[in-house]
This record gives sequence, structure tokens and C-alpha cells, in this order.
Amino acid sequence: MNFGSKSFKPRPPDKGSFPLDHFGECKTFKETFMRCLRENSFDNSKCRLQSKDYLECRMDHQLMAREPLQKLGFKDLMDPPPSQEESTP
Amino acid sequence: MRRHSRKSRSQEEEWRTRNKTVLTYIAAAGVGMIGLSYAAVPLYRLYCQATGLGGTAVAGHDTDQVEMMKPVKERVIKVTFNADTHASIQWNFRPQQTEIYVVPGETALAFYRAKNPTDKPIIGISTYNVVPFDAGQYFNKIQCFCFEEQRLNPHEEVDMPVFFYIDPEFDDDPRMARVDTITLSYTFFEAKEGQQLPLPGYSYN
Repeated sequence: MNFGSKSFKPRPPDKGSFPLDHFGECKTFKETFMRCLRENSFDNSKCRLQSKDYLECRMDHQLMAREPLQKLGFKDLMDPPPSQEESTP
Repeated sequence: MRRHSRKSRSQEEEWRTRNKTVLTYIAAAGVGMIGLSYAAVPLYRLYCQATGLGGTAVAGHDTDQVEMMKPVKERVIKVTFNADTHASIQWNFRPQQTEIYVVPGETALAFYRAKNPTDKPIIGISTYNVVPFDAGQYFNKIQCFCFEEQRLNPHEEVDMPVFFYIDPEFDDDPRMARVDTITLSYTFFEAKEGQQLPLPGYSYN
């Protein structure tokens, strides 16, 4: 153990570990998300809808604890007015 | 002559007592220094936790933050992904994207892939690292695949997601002003009996 040398301290994830998707149940959603990333030069802000879909798929197949999407940071994707678009960074 | 020797004797005694006192003080100071250097370790850790220096976790953030946080759209950060396996584990483990552009305050999803090319099931367990270390305190994982044993059956391949966000306070930290790339590294080990990994909450000091 080093005294005084800066070292990284890993922290556990907030909601624990994702169970493995052994049967590839959400693989299509992942593929859609990855395709979106590739088409948008890996800009996460443009693919949030796809990431929301992927996480919803996980929740539907018991691969993730069900949570309201606001708690996962998708509040802006759930706003009622359908004309609201995400502003590009 | 006798007077001289008496005076010198009492002077000697004086010197001896003075020397003894000085030596006692020096010895006490020495012991004090050694004690301080041992106490410094837990004290430093406490100080780091309170001020968040050196990448240690600053008192747990609450999950309401995820709901309430506002993305800092002007501050684009490149997150690059790295995957490693320890020599003993035969998985093929790699990231599915080399980089992703995120902004603080916005949740992001990224994928790794792991394949077990062997004929027997292998159980792996992973830990992660964030570089630069100081940015690590702002890197929050909501959910990932680390720190718990993951079992891959023979010839099985799975997608492994990481769901994370960068704390919006990252943009307010002057020390982070020049940081525009953060690298996330995962390393997989084979889970064996009695193996010690640098896992959080696992005391190995």
C-alpha cells in the first residue's frame, strides 16, 4: 500500500450490476443504438431515444430493475409536447 | 585542587541531568514523529474524502440528482473506452465503441462485448479505472457489469452495457477546465477462491 501516492478508488455502481443478457433479448435495441451512434459520429446526445429504448427492453425482460425513466435521466424525452425536439449541442 | 574537582563534579552532574532531559525530549519527539506518520494515513484519507482530492468519492451523491440534473450542453467531453483482461482469463473482451461524446449531466450508454471461446464455463469479475484520476470523482456509474461475478458459458458471447453520467459539477471545477477526454478502462479477472481484487468496500490494507 502506498502512502500518499494518488490512486484511483473505484466506486460501485449506483444501481448495482446489469444481469447478463444471455439470450440476446435486447440485442436488436442495442444494434439500433450502435447504428445511431455510428451515424451520428458517436454523439450520445443524438441517440438518447435509442438508449432509452434499450433500457426499457431490459426492464421488460427482467434484465434491469424497473424504474421510472425520469430517475434514469430521461425526463426530457418524456415531456408531453410532441413538437419538443432535443436541441443539438 | 579539591575545590576544583568538587566544582567540576557538580558541573558534570548538572550536564548529565541536562543531557538526560534533552535526550528524553528528543526521544519523545522521535516517538511522536513516528506516531504522526502512522496517523497521517487515515487522517489523509479522511481529509481526501471531505475535500474530494485525489479522485476519492465525495460523500455519496443521491439518486435524485440524476432526475434533477441539467445537461451542460456546451461542454462536450470525449469518453474513450478501454478493455483489458488479466492473463489468467481466456475471455475475449473489448469495447463496442472506441469513443463516445457526452456532456455533463446527461446519462449515457456504452457497450462492451465479452466472449468465452473455450469449452468450459468461465466466471469473470471486473473492476474499472478512470483517467484522469481527478475526473474519476465526477464519473458516476448508474449501472454496469462490474464488481459482480459474471458467468459465461462455453462459446457464449454477450453484450455488456455501462450506463453512466458525468456530474454537471465537472464543468464548475477549475481543475477540470482543460480536461476534455476521459478514459474508462475495465479489466476482467477470472473469479477464483481467495483471490483479492481492489473492490470497493473490500479491505485489503
